[in-house]
Amino acid sequence: MRYFAKKILTLIMTLFLVSAAAFLAFQVIPGDVVTSILGTEATPEREEQLREQLGLSKPPVIRYFSWAADVLRGDLGVSYRYSKNMTEMMPVAELIGDKLPVTLYLAALSLAFILVFSIPLGVIWAKSRSRLLDAFFGVTTQAAMALPSFFLGILVTYVCGIVLHLFAPGGYVSYQKDFWGFLRYLLFPALSVAIPKIAMTARFLRNALLTELSADYVRTAYGKGCTGRRVMYCHVLRNALMPVLTFLGMIIAEIVAGSIVIEQVFGLPGIGRLLVSSVSTRDFPVVEILILYITFVVIFVYFLVDILYRVVDPRISEK
Amino acid sequence: MIRIENLSVSFGDTAAVKNVTLELRDGEILGLVGESGCGKSVTALTLMGLCAREARMESGRICFDQEVLAEAGKPRDEALYRAYQGARMAMVFQEPMTSLNPTQRVGRQVEEVLKLHTKLNAQSRRQKVLETFEEVGLRETERVYQSFPHQLSGGMRQRVMIAMAVILRPRLLVADEPTTALDVTVQGQIVSLLQEINRRQDNAMLFITHDLDLARRLCHRIAVMKDGCVVEQGETGQIFTAPAQAYTRKLIEAAPSRMRQREIPSSGAAPQTPVVEVKNLSVFYQEGSNSLFSRGRRRAAVQGADFTVYQGESLGLVGESGCGKTSLSKALLGMNRMIEGQIIHHTVRPQMIFQDPYSSLNPAKTVGWLLQEPLRARGALDPGLAMTKGDMEAAAYEMLLRVGLEEQYFHRKPSQLSGGQRQRVSIAQALITQPGFLVADEPVSALDVTIQAQIMELLQKLRQEMKLSCLFISHDIHVVYQMCDRIMVMREGRIIETGRRSEIFRSPKEAYTRQLLCGS
Repeated sequence: MRYFAKKILTLIMTLFLVSAAAFLAFQVIPGDVVTSILGTEATPEREEQLREQLGLSKPPVIRYFSWAADVLRGDLGVSYRYSKNMTEMMPVAELIGDKLPVTLYLAALSLAFILVFSIPLGVIWAKSRSRLLDAFFGVTTQAAMALPSFFLGILVTYVCGIVLHLFAPGGYVSYQKDFWGFLRYLLFPALSVAIPKIAMTARFLRNALLTELSADYVRTAYGKGCTGRRVMYCHVLRNALMPVLTFLGMIIAEIVAGSIVIEQVFGLPGIGRLLVSSVSTRDFPVVEILILYITFVVIFVYFLVDILYRVVDPRISEK
Repeated sequence: MIRIENLSVSFGDTAAVKNVTLELRDGEILGLVGESGCGKSVTALTLMGLCAREARMESGRICFDQEVLAEAGKPRDEALYRAYQGARMAMVFQEPMTSLNPTQRVGRQVEEVLKLHTKLNAQSRRQKVLETFEEVGLRETERVYQSFPHQLSGGMRQRVMIAMAVILRPRLLVADEPTTALDVTVQGQIVSLLQEINRRQDNAMLFITHDLDLARRLCHRIAVMKDGCVVEQGETGQIFTAPAQAYTRKLIEAAPSRMRQREIPSSGAAPQTPVVEVKNLSVFYQEGSNSLFSRGRRRAAVQGADFTVYQGESLGLVGESGCGKTSLSKALLGMNRMIEGQIIHHTVRPQMIFQDPYSSLNPAKTVGWLLQEPLRARGALDPGLAMTKGDMEAAAYEMLLRVGLEEQYFHRKPSQLSGGQRQRVSIAQALITQPGFLVADEPVSALDVTIQAQIMELLQKLRQEMKLSCLFISHDIHVVYQMCDRIMVMREGRIIETGRRSEIFRSPKEAYTRQLLCGS
């Protein structure tokens, strides 16, 4: 119980610090939301009016705290840039609510790919005794890791979309409308996200497995008369997963926070794209909330990893 | 009957075992003794079919009764071996902590043997494991069954390992240094347990050890190995009373034992000038805590220690691991400031010799550089004592010779030296500033017996030459006996007995001291 209380307290403190830092950054970086909305030709009166309207005329400290108070009350504010219709500005909650599912589906699908492919690959690689196979794995994973994601995205789009016509690049449908279409649109971006991560995870797992395989308890297991397969799956794998968990945690945090490049390349309306456009237009309310979201995701995933550690390794919970 | 016939094993180009022939009969304990790297473990692992894949059997064969388990030039029949491993032949390893899977309950790990070799159902498997736990002297068997390895003590873990090995009453039990990683008092118990199992189950046991005293007490026959060869083999009594080989004699003589008398370098019983006085010293350590909100709790490692080291004296400190020996020595040298009480030094810059010469020397530097480092440090701290480069080099060369290393070692790196040579370098490093007081923390524990004897001799010689006063720490009471004038016994952070060497050995007051004396 104390453990949870401590974790939650750390989470709150971190969120506060991050939001304050982001606010500060917005004060410092050049560029003004008013000019970015009205353009450089607007009259000073019109600028003043908009400034007033957006609440930008108050001092920064007061603005930060009134924003923070609103957020705590559950009011995430309205976007400076997007409008719902001619008269109303777009609420941030609605805006993000629209885009977040896309990113989450993409993340879930990528994670599924990563888990399904990297673990067997790592195991097969660690077990392979032939030099040729070892070199093959080494080179392919190296190459997959080195590919920049935008290039991989373009490659996948070209090969699967344009040459093989497996999907129409640049589109997206929600799953309520057309489930198979939805899956088809997500499949390839998810692959592009997953391929480098699969390579990294497999490599990592393979190294962890090789380390574990030389441990004393492996010899004990063979001494009992275990087959190699039994040693691998009943003894070694669980212990080798420990370091891999940390790594997977980092990956999950990264992809749930939005794969900016991949979303751009495939034209997916996710939060990665939203973040980029909001930063460039100085859409402060949107950026702040996105940053809070990303921070929360990172901390939450690490928290989950921490709990998983305790499940996998009994030595940790007792320290 | 189990036979190893003319066995040779090599790793790449190096031969680890050469033409070894051994025979084990039911009910017999065969001791395989020798120093580290002599091939005794490789022999045992090959016998068990557990050798690393890189190992190649060059010649010979291994027979279990009429069955040929392995033969040179033929691929190992894994399935045949698996049928034997765990059921008809089993092994107990040196490190019970790392030899158990850290993330599996020990009950399940022992049960796995039954799962692999019998058709018992889950219920009776569990029953059998609990019974075996009882047989190997584990209490609260249900709790042990549910425990993870880290929740058990070293002795309990080794009992679990033994239970795992004997649960199917194998014909052959191989024990590879099963007591080396354990505390002295526990060592005795484990040895008696193995002896008892051997009598009860009437199995053949191959007992591997570097400890000749232990081999003498336990084994019926002994084979001595050196550089991959068996140099001598025979009945235990005969090996010890009339060793045929010079090497065997050397091994027997090297073993620290209170059987042999050593002339005590009479420190002249000169006017007893204290070098270090310790008054009511308690040493604490902070329990690790990575929380932002609470500091770790302070725990006492040493409580109320009171003693004095006199000029020219060697004071021994014995106790089991975790009793606070090292905490005390660190406090003495000012490496731990969380203390209460008083430490009064009458000399400046005491030095320390560490246990592990493999990790305590910077691998990137040459021996010469390492030896000059204390001189440089002293010069930096106290400009009055700064030396010129040439003087420092000369001092380093001189020290090198004093610890019995030739000049050519000046330019070598630690990795090019053997364990004994490295420990000589550590000693030279500690003594080059001619400190008045020296702490030696288990300086010979990581070394082989014959090397151990050489290093102890060297330390004695240097102590007399340089009129050193030292605190000599060891878990081995025999080592302390050979090295020290007075002995302190430490247990759970307290010094429970102090006395002259002869008093401690002839009439120990504390039951615990007696236990230490008999245990080893």
